[in-house]
Amino acid sequence: MIGLALRSLRHRAPAFTATFLSVLAGTALIGSFATLFETSLGPVSKEDQEILFIMGAVVGAWGSLIVLFSLASTLGIAVGQRDTEIATLRTIGATPGQARRMIRTETLLVALVASTLGAGIAWVGGRGLLAMIREAGMVSDSVAFAGGPLALGSTVALVTVTSVLAATIAGRRATSGPARLAMVDAASGAGRMRWWRILAAVVLVGYGVVMAMITVFITADSDDPYAAMQTAGSSSILVGVGLAVLAPTLLRWTAVTLRPLVGRFGVAGHLAAFNTSRRAHVLGGVLAPVIVFTAASVGTLTLVAIDGRTSGPANAEADLINLLNNVVVGMISLFAAIMVINAFAAVIAHRRNELARVRLLGATGEQVRSSVLVEAGIIAAVGVLLGLVAASATVVPFALARDEGFVPDGTLWLPPVLVALAVVLTLAAAALAVRRATAAPVLATVNQ
Amino acid sequence: MTSTPALSVHDVTRTYGDPGNPVRALDGVTLTVAPGTFTAVMGPSGSGKSTFLNCAAGLESPSSGRILIGGEDVTDWSESRRTVLRREKIGIVFQSFHLMPYLNAEQNVGLPARLAGGRPDKARIRELLAVVGLAERSRHLPAELSGGQQQRVAIARALVGNPAILLADEPTGALDSASARDVLALLRTTVDTLGQTVLMVTHDPVAASYADEVVFMVDGLVAGRMGQPTAEAVAGQMAHLDDLVKVTS
Repeated sequence: MIGLALRSLRHRAPAFTATFLSVLAGTALIGSFATLFETSLGPVSKEDQEILFIMGAVVGAWGSLIVLFSLASTLGIAVGQRDTEIATLRTIGATPGQARRMIRTETLLVALVASTLGAGIAWVGGRGLLAMIREAGMVSDSVAFAGGPLALGSTVALVTVTSVLAATIAGRRATSGPARLAMVDAASGAGRMRWWRILAAVVLVGYGVVMAMITVFITADSDDPYAAMQTAGSSSILVGVGLAVLAPTLLRWTAVTLRPLVGRFGVAGHLAAFNTSRRAHVLGGVLAPVIVFTAASVGTLTLVAIDGRTSGPANAEADLINLLNNVVVGMISLFAAIMVINAFAAVIAHRRNELARVRLLGATGEQVRSSVLVEAGIIAAVGVLLGLVAASATVVPFALARDEGFVPDGTLWLPPVLVALAVVLTLAAAALAVRRATAAPVLATVNQ
Repeated sequence: MTSTPALSVHDVTRTYGDPGNPVRALDGVTLTVAPGTFTAVMGPSGSGKSTFLNCAAGLESPSSGRILIGGEDVTDWSESRRTVLRREKIGIVFQSFHLMPYLNAEQNVGLPARLAGGRPDKARIRELLAVVGLAERSRHLPAELSGGQQQRVAIARALVGNPAILLADEPTGALDSASARDVLALLRTTVDTLGQTVLMVTHDPVAASYADEVVFMVDGLVAGRMGQPTAEAVAGQMAHLDDLVKVTS
């Protein structure tokens, strides 16, 4: 199986680019924070240790949640789009177990190489991060960078294990059922939501909602002004990731509801409306990062703004917390942006043949491009809507806790700007991906 | 017959590869298809029959020669004009069906009309699905249909725009023999009862026997013709294609 996996990797290098990039970026992000944690274990003062620990472990843990989730969803797309190839292998005599082993081996190889390179970036990135907080005067200048095998090794292990686990789950789905069935235009089919996904979503959303309620009813009255922030701060990310886990189902529901409306926009709207509703399991992978991006950025930045208005005169602690929040938002947003682009590239590349098929029937390249853009529009609309719902899990409780009421007193321009950013990002990612997919002549694409 | 040919091809060549060492897929093909007839193009692999069909469908440009569809010379048309041509004058049926997986049978048949910017004619779609024997299955997705049923949906889709000619590229190549017979009988019916013109590329003598005339291609040339074909006669001729080449060269 290793031999087959290696040949498959070499033959289809471009198809593994999405996996490779996600693992690389994910390791770089988690690893940078992990080095701060390892530094905190070294010979540093008690105060420095606490700050390094918060940065490394607390912030790093939230980042990890998002990164690992996005990684799993990208791998789900990557394996899911090889359904036909896997079905072919099985019709010539590969057992489901052999097919799964091949998928696992491939993923293991790609993840090991990419995460090792990512660890190299994290080693540099961690130094940069430490230099930044030293510069800001939050830790003493004597603190020396001590990130090494412990932090980077466990990051590589964590990312690799997550990748292989995600590939295993996706591989199980791709190899269940009779082989021939998968050969019948595998692109269709509802793609049932598994119980563990629903459970994970309920736990995440439930945890976020409970934290929001604790903020309103308990920590709002605390003497420590940051108690409310600690409980409310993570709610938007928790609810956002929880909703993102359910992305395919949520997309199907909304797309079915929107169908009569979108169907009015000519043939592009017609195609997009049915594609988003009947193949939500494919496009859900693109929706997920849009939700997370909107939830994390709107939630956290509004939180920072409310805090800035209500926490009184500036002090060192407020500066640090603001910096932390901004670093988190920056990192997560950048990562989510990569994920949106990545996911679109993977989904569209997989649909190259299908898009060429419409062109064979007499669709112009323009019609194909606009139908994909309408799809992206639906995804963006659903994504920012759910993202705003998730963000309100942080914003509303924290605004209440700081006596601003249900709606914050200021910076109301922030959500529209971030929403616009998310929409532009989604549309641009789609436009980029589809332009590449429709550039080749129709015949060359169909005969591949 | 005095009526305009549905398709007429004059001395068409198609060359691939670099100019120093060209591969001639078509080496001067001339062929006329009268309206309301069923023609089968046969030949071994590499004989140029698929290239010929692609040129006729406007999917490829010939290197030289002229192609007329419904009397109109379409050889030098731009890519976008040929796209409109495919939509309005040509119906294509492919070996692998090429249905949209997320549209049901009815929606797949209605797609060309939507691509042309119009609204599909519901009554016409229902009528065509009845013609191909799938009136009861109009709401099914392709994955819920058998191969033969999918191909019949594809034929209904090809017919929906009243094309001047229906081009079929190995339409039974991916089907079992019972489904293949159904599809071939259906193509025959479209010619006999709807007056449709059909040009089919195939390598199967049984498929070719459903046609009014069989055209044999060898090495990018039309090597011979046979009227009123039977499967046996076609198979016999295919076994002795070399003789045809000797006669023509």
